[in-house]
Amino acid sequence: MSWRKIPMKFPGTCIVCNQKVEVNEMGLWAKGLGVKHEKCASQEVKELKCIICGGPAGCPKCEFADDCDREQVSEFCVCKKCEGLADSFLQYQKAVQKNFSLLNLKQ
Amino acid sequence: MMWSEKHRPKKIMNMVGNEEARSSFVDWLVKWKKGAKPVLLIGPPGIGKTTLAQLAAKEFEYDLIGLNASDVRNRANIEDMLSPLLGNTSLLGRPMIFVDEVDGIHGRADFGGAEALLKILKEPTVPIILAANSDQSVKMKNIRKATKPIYLKPLPPRLLGLYLGKVLKEEEAKLSPGATVKIIIESRGDIRSLLNMAQAQLGGFDPPTEKSFERLDVEAGINAFFKAKSKEEAQIVLYSLRIDPREKINAFYSSLVTSSLPGATLAKMLDVVSEADMLYGKIMRTQEWRLLRYLDNILLRLYGENVQVQFSQYNLSWPLLNRLRWDGKTIKALSSALAKKFHVSQSTIATFYLPYILFCIKNKKMDLEVSPEYAEIIQKEIGLLK
Repeated sequence: MSWRKIPMKFPGTCIVCNQKVEVNEMGLWAKGLGVKHEKCASQEVKELKCIICGGPAGCPKCEFADDCDREQVSEFCVCKKCEGLADSFLQYQKAVQKNFSLLNLKQ
Repeated sequence: MMWSEKHRPKKIMNMVGNEEARSSFVDWLVKWKKGAKPVLLIGPPGIGKTTLAQLAAKEFEYDLIGLNASDVRNRANIEDMLSPLLGNTSLLGRPMIFVDEVDGIHGRADFGGAEALLKILKEPTVPIILAANSDQSVKMKNIRKATKPIYLKPLPPRLLGLYLGKVLKEEEAKLSPGATVKIIIESRGDIRSLLNMAQAQLGGFDPPTEKSFERLDVEAGINAFFKAKSKEEAQIVLYSLRIDPREKINAFYSSLVTSSLPGATLAKMLDVVSEADMLYGKIMRTQEWRLLRYLDNILLRLYGENVQVQFSQYNLSWPLLNRLRWDGKTIKALSSALAKKFHVSQSTIATFYLPYILFCIKNKKMDLEVSPEYAEIIQKEIGLLK
C-alpha cells in the first residue's frame, strides 16, 4: 500500500489528527485507507511489533531509537519487557515458530 | 574459529530477523515446480542471504551449486557450468543453483554472461536462488523482472542485542554495557559485523573509538594487522580491510620493504607478498574472481607475533624518497641546461653523459660553466661517485 501525494479534489478527514483536509490542499491519499495531512504524515512514527508478546515494541522509548531506521529494518523486534525475560532468545524462537509455522521444517 | 562461522544457524528456523522474508522464501521453495520463477534475495551484506540459501538446500535435501558473479561473467562459462545441470537433472542428484552477488555482473567485464543467465532464469528446470545487495541499478531491471524478489532487511538494534546476548552466553563471555551498545549501533543491523566486532573486542583488540572496526582504512588496518595479539585477530582485521586487492597487496609490500626486519624474515615475507601478487595477476588475466577469496588466506601468513612493521605508503625509504623528489628535480633542471650545451636530449644527458661529466669535473679535466645554483647538486653527486 503506497501513499500518494496529491492536491485534494474533494474534502476529507485526516486519519491522523481527525481534522478537515480542504479541497486543493496537498495531502496524502491511499486507496482504501483515506487521506492525511502532509505534516501529520511526517509526524507519524512507525512502531515495530514485539514478536514475543505481540504488542508494540516501544520504539519511542527504545534506547536505540536514534540509531534504528524503523522504515528500513526487519519488521519484528522485541519490547523491553520481553527482552528482560530470563530465556528471552528462546522465547523469541518459540514466537517465530508459532507465528511463522512454515519455517518449522522437519528433516 | 570465527564466531560468524561457529554460530551460523543450522536451520532456517534458527536464523534471526527477517521472519516474513524467510517465510515467503520457504513458501516459494515448498511450492517450487519446473518453470517456477527463480527467487532473488535482496539485502545488505551480513544479514543471511547466503546462509538462507545454504540452509534451504540442506533442509530440502538439494545439492547446492554455488556460483558468484565472476563465474557468470561470460556466456561460455555459464553454459559450461550450468547446462549439464539443467539438461539432465536425474543423473546429478537434486541440484539447486545459487548465484551470489548477481548485481556484480556489469560493465565491460560482462561477456554475454548476463544474457545467458537471463535465458536460464526464464526456463528454470531446477530451483535457482540469486542474491544481490541491491536491485536498484538499471542492469538489475531485467533480472528483477525474471525473478521473484524477496527483500531482507537489517535487524533492529534491540533484536541484535538479544542475539548477541545469546552468543555471549554460549561463549561464556561478557562485554561491558557500553561496549555492547557501541557494537550493536556500529554493526547497523549486520549480524556478521556484530559477531566480528564482539569477537575482536573480547580478543583484546580495541577497535578505534570514533570509527567502526568494519571500516578500517588502509593505514589503521595494516598497523592493526601487525599489532594483532593472535592470528585470529589478524584475520578479522584483514577481513575488515575492504579495499581494492591491488591496493591491499601494495600496502603490505611498501610497509614491509620500508621496515627494519632482518633480511631472512623480510625475504620470507616478500615471498608471501609475491604469491599474493601472482594470484591477483592470475585473477586479472583469467577474470576468475572467485579466486579472490584465497587472497586473504595468503596474506595472513605475513602475521607473526612481535613482527615490528608500521604502515608506509611509499615503497622506498624516506631519505631515498626525499632525495628522489628534491635532488631529482634539480638534476632534471641541470640535465635540461646541459642538453642545450651538448645538443642532445635531456634524457641522453641524464642517462649517458652526466656520470662522465661528473668524473671529468672530479678529475679537474673539465670546467663546466653552469649556473651557480647547480654547484651544490654537482658536488653532492660527485661525492656519490665510486
